[in-house]
Order: sequence, then C-alpha cells, then structure tokens
Amino acid sequence: MSDIAAAGVRSAPSRGPATAARAAPDARRLLQLVLAGIWLLDGVLQYQGFMYTKGFSDMLADSASGNPGVVARPITWDATLVSHHLVLLNSVFATIQLLLGLGIAWRPTVRPALAVSVAWSLGVWWFGEGLGAVLTGAISPVSGAPGAVILYALAAVLLWPADRDIRSPFIAARAVGAPAARALWLVLWLSLAYFALLPASRSPQGLHDMIARMEDGEPGWVAALARGAAAVVAHQGLAASIVLAVALAVIAAGVYLPPRLMRATPILALVLAAVIWVFGQALGEIMAGGATDPSSAPLLALLALCYWPARGYWPARTALARPAEGTIAA
Amino acid sequence: MTPAWLLDIFAAVMLGVAAVSAARLVAARPGGGGRGTALADIDVAHLLMAIAMAGMLASSLRTLPDGVWEVIFGVLTAWFGYRVVRDSRVSGTRALAGGHCAPHLIHAASMLYMFCAVTPPSAHAPDGTSGMAGRGSGSMATLAFPLLAFVFTLLLAGYTVWDLDQLSGPGVRAHYSLAAVPLAPVPVLAGVGSGGLAPTPAPAPAPRPAEPNPEPTGSGPADGQGRGVLAPWVAVSCRIAMGVTMAFMLVTMI
Repeated sequence: MSDIAAAGVRSAPSRGPATAARAAPDARRLLQLVLAGIWLLDGVLQYQGFMYTKGFSDMLADSASGNPGVVARPITWDATLVSHHLVLLNSVFATIQLLLGLGIAWRPTVRPALAVSVAWSLGVWWFGEGLGAVLTGAISPVSGAPGAVILYALAAVLLWPADRDIRSPFIAARAVGAPAARALWLVLWLSLAYFALLPASRSPQGLHDMIARMEDGEPGWVAALARGAAAVVAHQGLAASIVLAVALAVIAAGVYLPPRLMRATPILALVLAAVIWVFGQALGEIMAGGATDPSSAPLLALLALCYWPARGYWPARTALARPAEGTIAA
Repeated sequence: MTPAWLLDIFAAVMLGVAAVSAARLVAARPGGGGRGTALADIDVAHLLMAIAMAGMLASSLRTLPDGVWEVIFGVLTAWFGYRVVRDSRVSGTRALAGGHCAPHLIHAASMLYMFCAVTPPSAHAPDGTSGMAGRGSGSMATLAFPLLAFVFTLLLAGYTVWDLDQLSGPGVRAHYSLAAVPLAPVPVLAGVGSGGLAPTPAPAPAPRPAEPNPEPTGSGPADGQGRGVLAPWVAVSCRIAMGVTMAFMLVTMI
C-alpha cells in the first residue's frame, strides 16, 4: 500500500466522521477547485510555443482595433512592450496564471489568490482582450463575449470564501448575498442577450462566418462540427440571433423564478454553454494551438453551477419560518 | 517555439523529483528503517516518469529509446489500472475521484500516450528517439490525436488542484496517512456525485470487513506517518510537480 493513503478510500477511525468531513470539501470549495484548474490550464496554455512568437503581441495589438482611443492607446502600448520583451513577459504572464491556479487550490492562500485573480483578470480584460470588444459591437456570445477573462473575475467574487448569507439559496449568494448575486446573474445574461442581437450576429451571415472561422487549424472532427453548425445558421443570422437572445433572456430572468422552476435555469445555462463551446467555440480552439484560455463557455458553465439551488435550503427556510410564526401567535 | 531554457527548468524540476523518489526508495528499503517494499510502486513510478520526462524536455538527458519507455509505461498503466479496478470494487467510483491509484493511472497513461503519439520535430530524429524540442531545428514535437492530449491535460490539472487542496486541508494527516487502518469509503465529491451541489455532511465511515490492499509492513514511526523524505507530503508534492509538468508538455505539443 502506498504511503499516500487513498483519498476518499481510507480514513482513520480514531478521528471519526469529523475527519472524513474535513477531507471532503464542500460544494463551494469544489467550485473553487474548478476555477483553480481552469487557471492552471490557462497557465500552461500561455507557455505554448505560439505565445513566444510575434503572433502573440500581434494578437494583443489587434484587440485595440475598434475601441475608443482612451481604451486602445494603453493596449497598443502594452502590445509594443510585449513585442520588445516577448520571452520575458510571456513567461511572467504564464507563471502568474499558473500560480493563481495553484494558489486557489492551496487552502491557506485561497483568499489572496482569488483577490489577485480578480485584479489580474481586469487587467487582462483591458490590455489583453480590449475589454472583450464590448465597446466595438463586433462581438457575440458565440465568439466569447464579453471576454472569458472577465468571467474569471466574476467567478472569483462569487466564490469568495465568506458567508454573508449562511442560509443561501445557492452558492453564489454566500459571499455577496442573494439579491446581489441575482442582480449579477441578470446583468451577465441580459448583456449576453443584447450582444446576441448586435449586427455582428444578426446579419444574414454573421453567425455563419463567426463559426466557420473556428475551423482553422482544428482536427478534422472538430472542423466538421463547426462546419455543420455554420451550415445550419447560414443566411439565418437574424432568426438564429433572436432564438439565442430569447434563450439567454430566459436564463437571465430564471434566477428570479420560484424555487421549483429556478432549478431549470442553471440546467438551461449549462446546456447552452455546452452547445456554444462545442459548436461555436470549437472547444476553446485549444486543439488548434494558440488559445490562451478555454474560452467563455466553460466559465459560463462554472457560473451556472454557482447558482445551482442548494439542497435543503427551501425546506429549511420553511421549517425556520414556522417557529417564528408560532412566536408571533403566542 | 517554447524557449529551451524553459524546457530546461522543467527538466531540472523532474530531475529533482527523480532524486527525491530515489531517496525515498533507498530510505524505504527493507532494513533501512523505512516502510518496507510494499510502498515501492508509487516511488518507482515517480522515478521512471521523472527520468522519462526530463529526457523528453531536454534531449541531452535522454536515457532509453522510446520503445523501451513505451513498454515501461504500458506496464505501469496496466498495473495502476489493475489497482484502480481493485479499489473501485471496494469504494466504487470514489476510488476514481479520490483514490491514490487513479492519479497514477492517469500519469502513466499520459506518459504512454506521449511516447506513442509524439511526432518528432524533424523527420530525421537521431536513433529513433524523440523529444519535445528539436534543438537547432526551430520546431517542436507534436502529438497525434490532440483530443487525448486535451483530455489528459484536464485530468492532470484536476488531480493537481485536488492534491493541493487535500495536502493543505485540515484533515491532511489522516487523509494522506500511512496508518494501517481499515478502509472505509469517504464521501469525496458527495455533493456533486449525488446530483446536488449543496454542502453535504459526510456520513460516518462504515467499517470494512477486509483490507483489499497490502498494508505497510515496515518499521516506520508508531503513528504510521513517514518522516523526512518518507513523509507523505513529499510524495504528493512530487505528484503535483509531475502533474503540472506533464500538463505543460501535453499542451505545448498539441
């Protein structure tokens, strides 16, 4: 038997159930670990050979186009700086992201790592993604709007290890409270619905062209999936955009539904995120090389899990309400 | 392409892992005050993987031909596959989520995949060996079936963050214990596995009638915890380092 006793298989009986409970992280910790894993993936993706070529600094510079001058100028400066010190700066970027993943996974450093991840995400959103191109109008939820990295920041905030509301209806409410968490969800998904209706998506070939571009460099079967999806929406940009926007708006409003119906909201969000990731984002283009992250859909799925209704919350609240009523009557 | 110095750094880390694993094997040898030979499989696997990865990262550190490594990692994959199946008969799918053999199965399978699927950066790789970087050729080796590389990367990242979490958790001593105690299923991932994501109190571990794995038989510390280089966290740290390095290698060769 190994010295590394099987996690989840072995426990010391003398320590009893308490030890077992400590060994099994709660649901929020599990979602933090998912976020840590995605940061770790980002880190190793940033070490790819492509990131050490001029293509990376050009990619940064391209994110300036279409943005107002006040946004674009710092991006251009940053891209120039990166092009001059490409190897050093890219190595630093990759290492920071790797350390963010390891830091979130290492319990004593989870708070500083999450805090730094928020700051880092905001910086990358501006200097690396041109604010997700939300000011240019040339975006769509299918192409990754509003930028994957801003979703990392949102996830870090919602998964912050604090308990503002211990009787939370879902994990996201524990750190910021249920009203704020619902408002954040509404803003995110309504903004996605809005982006789905922008001219870049609703033009007859808008979605088709967006998806067709994903074929480049992909393995045959991924390219075939993208080709098939592009064919479905060819010349149907407006109809497809309306369907997508309606689905996103339903998800946005779903967080305010009664408890029984609310469970359908994260499920719908997970399904939509999976469809977008497979057919619209070519699995984050990771297999084509040159991807800096797995794109926005996995983060949307992670956020959906943050809003999964907590088991036992609603009955517990009912049970708590009854004595209160009895007290008033007495 | 990824700079050579970066590959060298990862190679140096792997040499460190190999040295630590070798030290653990020596310290644990029968009569050496260690735990006995029943613990050797993990450290042997670490040693071999670290040497192989160092050779892939830095061509000057190549030791054996690819074919030999393929056989070695084929055997290791089969061995840990057998161990996982045996554990899963006791703990069900929890053996996959939290068992110590499952990560090693993924590590061994990843190594096997890398050696089988790697395409040399140049068509004239010396003596049938291949590494990540074609030094002087300006190109990188690539992997066939990139979906597998992606899947392995996700699994390696998952096990790495899981290991870090467990290593830094308050229940670490029990969780990574050397103590010879009866096996009992622990509800790792209970919330997700049962379809809910709410925090789930862990039920009391049920007593098990039989121990499916051999227990440490060495003359270790009384509480069963290894010390020094034999401390459990050392092996887990090696596994974390290898997980990160392997994920790095897979992604850079996609």
